[in-house]
Amino acid sequence: MRAPIHKLETVSLRKEYPGTVALDDVSIAFTGGKIHALIGKNGAGKSTLVKILAGAVQPTRGSVLVNGEDVQLRSPRDALERGIIAVHQELSLVPELSVGENILLGRLPKKPGFGGFVIDWRAVFGRAKEILESLGIDLDVRSRATKLGVAQQQVVEIAKAMSYNPSILVLDEPTSALAQHETERLFEILRTLAGRGVVLLYITHRLHELQRIADTVTVLRDGSLVGTIDIAEASPSTVVHMMFGETLQRARPADLVARKEPLVVVRNLSKHNAYRNINFTVNRGEILGIAGLLGSGRTELLRAIFGADPPDEGEILLEGKSVRPNSPLQMKRLGVALTPENRKEQGLVQLLNTRVNLCLASLDRISTRGFLTRARERVRVERNVRDLDIAVANIEAPIAYLSGGNQQKVVIGKWLNTEPRLVLLDEPTRGIDLQAKQQMFQIIWDMSKRGISSIVVSSELEELLDICHRILVMRQGQIVGEVRPDEISLDKLFAACMEERT
Amino acid sequence: MTASTKLRSFLSEGILEIILVLFCLALSFTAPGFLTAENLLNVLRNVSMQGVIAFGMTMVIVAAEIDLSVGSAVAFAGCLTAFTTEALSGDAVGLPMPLAIAAAILVTLTVGFSIGAFTGFMRTTYQVPSFITTLALMTGLSGAAELITNGFPLTPFPDWYNFIGGGYLFGVPFPALVFLLTFAALQFLMNYTSFGRSVYAVGGNAEAARLSGINVNRVKVLVLGTTAFLAALGGIMQSSEIMSGTATAAKGWELDVIAAVIIGGTSLMGGVGRVWGTMVGVVFLGVIMNGMTLLNVSEYWQHVVRGALILIAVLLNLLQKGKGGR
Repeated sequence: MRAPIHKLETVSLRKEYPGTVALDDVSIAFTGGKIHALIGKNGAGKSTLVKILAGAVQPTRGSVLVNGEDVQLRSPRDALERGIIAVHQELSLVPELSVGENILLGRLPKKPGFGGFVIDWRAVFGRAKEILESLGIDLDVRSRATKLGVAQQQVVEIAKAMSYNPSILVLDEPTSALAQHETERLFEILRTLAGRGVVLLYITHRLHELQRIADTVTVLRDGSLVGTIDIAEASPSTVVHMMFGETLQRARPADLVARKEPLVVVRNLSKHNAYRNINFTVNRGEILGIAGLLGSGRTELLRAIFGADPPDEGEILLEGKSVRPNSPLQMKRLGVALTPENRKEQGLVQLLNTRVNLCLASLDRISTRGFLTRARERVRVERNVRDLDIAVANIEAPIAYLSGGNQQKVVIGKWLNTEPRLVLLDEPTRGIDLQAKQQMFQIIWDMSKRGISSIVVSSELEELLDICHRILVMRQGQIVGEVRPDEISLDKLFAACMEERT
Repeated sequence: MTASTKLRSFLSEGILEIILVLFCLALSFTAPGFLTAENLLNVLRNVSMQGVIAFGMTMVIVAAEIDLSVGSAVAFAGCLTAFTTEALSGDAVGLPMPLAIAAAILVTLTVGFSIGAFTGFMRTTYQVPSFITTLALMTGLSGAAELITNGFPLTPFPDWYNFIGGGYLFGVPFPALVFLLTFAALQFLMNYTSFGRSVYAVGGNAEAARLSGINVNRVKVLVLGTTAFLAALGGIMQSSEIMSGTATAAKGWELDVIAAVIIGGTSLMGGVGRVWGTMVGVVFLGVIMNGMTLLNVSEYWQHVVRGALILIAVLLNLLQKGKGGR
């Protein structure tokens, strides 16, 4: 008997969040027996789509059809009952429990009698073993999850998902933590599943995997569906073009020149499991980009230079003076600033208002012998609001009322008040709208003209090409190249960031 | 802002103050002798020692820490003052009494601050939660007080020592003056200094504060040290009031102090709270206790009412926050 071929469709899905549209009119159909890759850069709407399918969030409009039937997914439980399972990037195994328990968690078979309170361990391990064997996996069901490697944990997650006998399986970047041969193993398992008629949705950032695993490629960009193509048509340049669209050249000022005076020299910076042997120079007023994927060590490197996570080895020369970054306080006093990747949790104190947040890093400059006066605060805050064009009705209102773009401006303003020489910007444009992005570029350019140097980390490679004087390419904790924006195309830069370890 | 939203924000911001005033009005009519200068000063005196500590506790809780040891610290400080006084004025050392007492007070305040700083040190160096360290100190200090007093009250003090805890200056009880001064000092510290600003930032989001170049560890050590210092001050005043160092004094004060802070609107999650709110909370508890005593409500009921009050106050606070919309 042949397994039934399942089918998943979305019809005009739309999801609005306050201030943004995460998904807009997305209609896609996925058929079982095939592996469908879903790709798109950050903020394209992939994770929103996954969350809707998993029942974690509800769409503003539109519907999800499973085998032609409109399913209302109001909760993860609804999704589960409809046979939709999502395996997320973060592993969710209980480390101290056995593989078998993890696979059957919440549904452990009970012994008959005893009021259904007593676990039937033989059945637990027997059932778990069956599931693993059906996927061709050889694992001890009694070993504790914590003893497994990441790849094996990933496999257990998938086995757990399979134990629900899903008709639709969504995998969110399952290979991001896997080595080459482990990835191959996973692909074999996915092929087995596809053979059973399961709809497989496979989200990845690794474009080079597509040819090996996917049957179709679906691309999302800025919340909209760009299209679905057959794998045969999916050449790397086609896919990159679909992901990024026509990148319009932003108005980069012609007079943006960095002086040939080194401000910062980074020497042999290394940290175990994060980055190693990092060397580069930043000139005064220069905007240096760091291109690299998530996990390439780029954020760790910025945090090291700022003293937030001190490096194991190496030093920094600031205008020729040797420094070992040790704490943010020390580096702030030396004129270094960091706008963190996660501005909501790390850049701002959400409980406090705009004025207080803007003054937070420069309290010792604003106060006289520790005493604060509103008048001195106001001068700075008003200058910030004016210079950075922060849209805020009342500087005494909670910072949480501001939009993402304005919150980011507050983080930058907070640091401009410390009169820095070097500003480290980690994903400065993440999650902010187009206009705010343009303003952010202008702010970085203006800083450059005033002689303030910047190091910009961004997943948005086309933005780095637009704003930077020079770009370093980072991969697996090392700097593997240096390019100038006018010498390289977007897809070449993207390829440089992606290249596999040889 | 229209007049009605202004009124609404006044009502929700000042809800506790309004309730306190209404309460006082009601008591003026029902409780004999409530609205007399003598009684009101009495209320102030009754709350002053716990109140002094409550202002420090406000800082600690705003910084997202806690100090459970203040009750034991009060007892320990009282005993240490008596013990040191006895030792220094005794035959072996033979200091004149005023000098011995001055030295004893100095020693006690220093030890007090050090105990709090120790909690801060454990917190910042070994990541031991202040809850745990101060829980240990709660028992430890209580035992230490018993040890240095041998389980009996020490009474080395001359009559004039009673001034600190029981005397009057310009017609106002001396401890009440200390209470008002402490309020003024901490109100200023928390609102008009960069240190106070750092306390809010550290409690609101320690990582964001650290990444803003704020010395988070220093802030934590200082707020915990200051509060233990104020507990020692409370202990000195109490030893003066009861004219002895007694190991069993101030039992359960930590709960009264924390209750006053919470009633005053400070969030146990940290980052939110006002010294003024604590002032209102302290006075509120004092007035309720005083009113119930005047109305001959049994002491058992007083405890029940106080418990209910804490719940209601926190509930009001949360409801008000929910309306603020976040």
